[in-house]
Amino acid sequence: MKKLLLASASVMLMAAPMGAAHADTWPERPLTMVIGFAPGGSTDIQGRVLANVMEEYLGQPVNVVNQPGGGAAVAYTRLANNTDEGYTFLFGGLTALTFTPIITEVEYEIDDFEYLAALAVGQNALVTSAEQPFQTFDEIIEYGKENPMTYAQQTPLDEAIIRRVAEIEGLDLAIVPTGGGGGMAPLVLGKEVDFAYSGGTHAQYTPTGEMVVAAFLSAERSPFYPDTPTLMELGYDYSIEDYRSIVVPAGIPDEAKERLIAAAEFASTNEDFRAITEDNTFFPVVFMGQDEMEENVRRIRAATEEVMAN
Amino acid sequence: MDFSIVGAAIGEALTLSSFIGIGGGVLLGYIIGVIPGLSRSVAIAIAIPLTFYMTPYIAISFLIGLSKGTAAGSAVSAILLNAPGEASSAATSLDGYPMAKQGKPKTALQIGLIASVAGDILATIILIFVAIPFARVALLFGPYEMAAILAFALVFIAGLSGGNLFKGLAAGGLGILLGTIGLDNQTGLPRMTFGFPELMEGMPLIAVAIGTLALSEMFVQSERLRKERATMAVKLEHRPDDHITWPILRMITPTILRGTGIGTFVGALPGLGPSVGSFMSYGMAQKASKTPEKFGKGEPRGIAAAESADNAVIPAALIPLFGLGIPGNVSAALLIGAFAIHGITVGPLLLRDEPELLYSIFAGMIVASFIMLALGWFGLMVFAQITRVPAHVVIPIVIFFCLAGMMLQGYGAFGLIILIAFAALGFLMKKYDYSFVTFLVAFIITPMLELNLRQSIILSRGDWMILLNRPIALFFIFCTLVALAMLAYRTVTVGKPAAPAPARGQTETTAHQERVTKETNP
Repeated sequence: MKKLLLASASVMLMAAPMGAAHADTWPERPLTMVIGFAPGGSTDIQGRVLANVMEEYLGQPVNVVNQPGGGAAVAYTRLANNTDEGYTFLFGGLTALTFTPIITEVEYEIDDFEYLAALAVGQNALVTSAEQPFQTFDEIIEYGKENPMTYAQQTPLDEAIIRRVAEIEGLDLAIVPTGGGGGMAPLVLGKEVDFAYSGGTHAQYTPTGEMVVAAFLSAERSPFYPDTPTLMELGYDYSIEDYRSIVVPAGIPDEAKERLIAAAEFASTNEDFRAITEDNTFFPVVFMGQDEMEENVRRIRAATEEVMAN
Repeated sequence: MDFSIVGAAIGEALTLSSFIGIGGGVLLGYIIGVIPGLSRSVAIAIAIPLTFYMTPYIAISFLIGLSKGTAAGSAVSAILLNAPGEASSAATSLDGYPMAKQGKPKTALQIGLIASVAGDILATIILIFVAIPFARVALLFGPYEMAAILAFALVFIAGLSGGNLFKGLAAGGLGILLGTIGLDNQTGLPRMTFGFPELMEGMPLIAVAIGTLALSEMFVQSERLRKERATMAVKLEHRPDDHITWPILRMITPTILRGTGIGTFVGALPGLGPSVGSFMSYGMAQKASKTPEKFGKGEPRGIAAAESADNAVIPAALIPLFGLGIPGNVSAALLIGAFAIHGITVGPLLLRDEPELLYSIFAGMIVASFIMLALGWFGLMVFAQITRVPAHVVIPIVIFFCLAGMMLQGYGAFGLIILIAFAALGFLMKKYDYSFVTFLVAFIITPMLELNLRQSIILSRGDWMILLNRPIALFFIFCTLVALAMLAYRTVTVGKPAAPAPARGQTETTAHQERVTKETNP
């Protein structure tokens, strides 16, 4: 069934006029893009559009395969053992490499992969309801010095950072788990919790005025919320950094790497990919090459280890 | 409500291209639903790429038609093969299969179809006129309320299975145990994953559901086939009295209305899902009935209760989606992705920014319901032809589809192993009269119950008094206690031997009915 659907989809695409004719020989057959999450999430949405754009550039179908589980740990485990010579690659965030191995045992390491390019900057926001008496991070702290507060976490990492901040400021903070972004929204909107972590879900609620972003945990401000400061700017030495990247098993042929990087760079300037990523999911599109990413992933891992060790 | 917009929207819903889109979605969904092993979320996930080339309106209507079609179609295999494709149709097979065995397969299918379509249309109307303005009511249901409702659902549905209390506890306990596998959702530490990253997000629900429901049934029927060499599937005979009658229709109408109400309530609360809805509705219908002992033996109201609630959940799950932007269940979450691919952000903004699109979708949903009725009614005989195929052909085909459906989930060989393990478990549970319904419901509810209970305890800082400000939660805690007390009372008074179980090994049909009866009746 699926093969049939994919085949018919590919036929339709090949019938469409190609963006550019390339003399390059790679790729010679269809490619597989692995998404480490279930269909429907922001990684999946961006990935599916990215696959269409890369297909246009590479002249071969790019089939999307979802391998959900363990926050992409399943997908990375399989990719580490993949011998497809670059015909199978992963699109997604890097937390399964920079964070997951710190708290649990996994069967892969950073060196098992190569990080060809980053295409979007991961979002890490602290959000609250527009109906709360506090709207900025300073107001949250001020309120918290007088009243016990509640916070909804999504990962042990954001919880660890908020715990440090609460200790520094002397807050009485109860921290609850949520079932991901979908579970966070009703808690914040229903004012069951005072503030919460959001990895992108807030993009659906800030335009309606229901939610406000009090601060960013990312290292830099978001171009979509230029007036909202980062935790670093507010004087706390913590940040969460992540990039939606193209990852391949280490040691694939150079030709494959070059072509995938070129396709990624092409996508970063493509209107469809930019529209879906920036306008609909509020992830800033960037392009970072392999050298920069190899360094980034190791630097983020070291910084995360430091936060979690305290 | 601007009526010129509504008029234009209805106009768009009635064009030929939209009929083809919606009709195609319903037909594809129906076929996928009929095939055991292929589920609704798989259907939507594999169909999303197809919608790249459609207009947003057609794409969304196609996908909604698809989910409606699967819900109605899965009743067919539940009734005719006793192999429900989804957990939510398991309640349908409890009375549907016995009725079909009694030589009334067509009546059973017709009841299922009418209940499906009625529940679907009524819930869609509630969605359009009542729910969106009041979607914020769902926010009144915080962790305390959800934990209380889930606890009630667990006790109430588990209590339905009756039979031996200790076997019930064993089945439910196993479900709870398996439901706790996976990463702890606060600390991120693995629990009982034994080093398998595949288990980090828990035992895959689809594998457990297909394994214990459909695949295990094929094992049961193969065993019977080997012993008896009989045709396993129900023969669809042209008995003159095998069609739905006015008295039946009158009898099931209140059941359908109740089922729709329950399904809409369950669907509107994010997270509960269709299985909770269909089993709650089945249980309520049985409790409300003057002849509860008929349930599980081919009672029309049993089929109507399960199917109306199962289908009402689908439009109702769109209430929080359109009203708040929160997906009510897995299929609704997939729809968010489909919307996003077409550049539409789902949520309250949709009503403000693109009311025409929203009303077109609503009109399309109503059109989809009628297409489903027509398709189901006239296609009944065609779809039911599978029952004429001899068992030794049907069983391997169903097994193939179960395995293929699992492969589509992307879990690889690991998924197949889990699937077969649960099929074996389901086979043993069926053979030794442990309630697989109790097991499955406990498995499905446990992760949600755990999360909400945990949130409640942390947010309240352990203070019970907070419940005094939570009347809805108090009400459901009270219901849970009543349900528990009734269970205890029944166990004490009725005595240890579950039911005056007639000796086994009569005809194959009655032996099977006996099992189904014990599954549902005290």
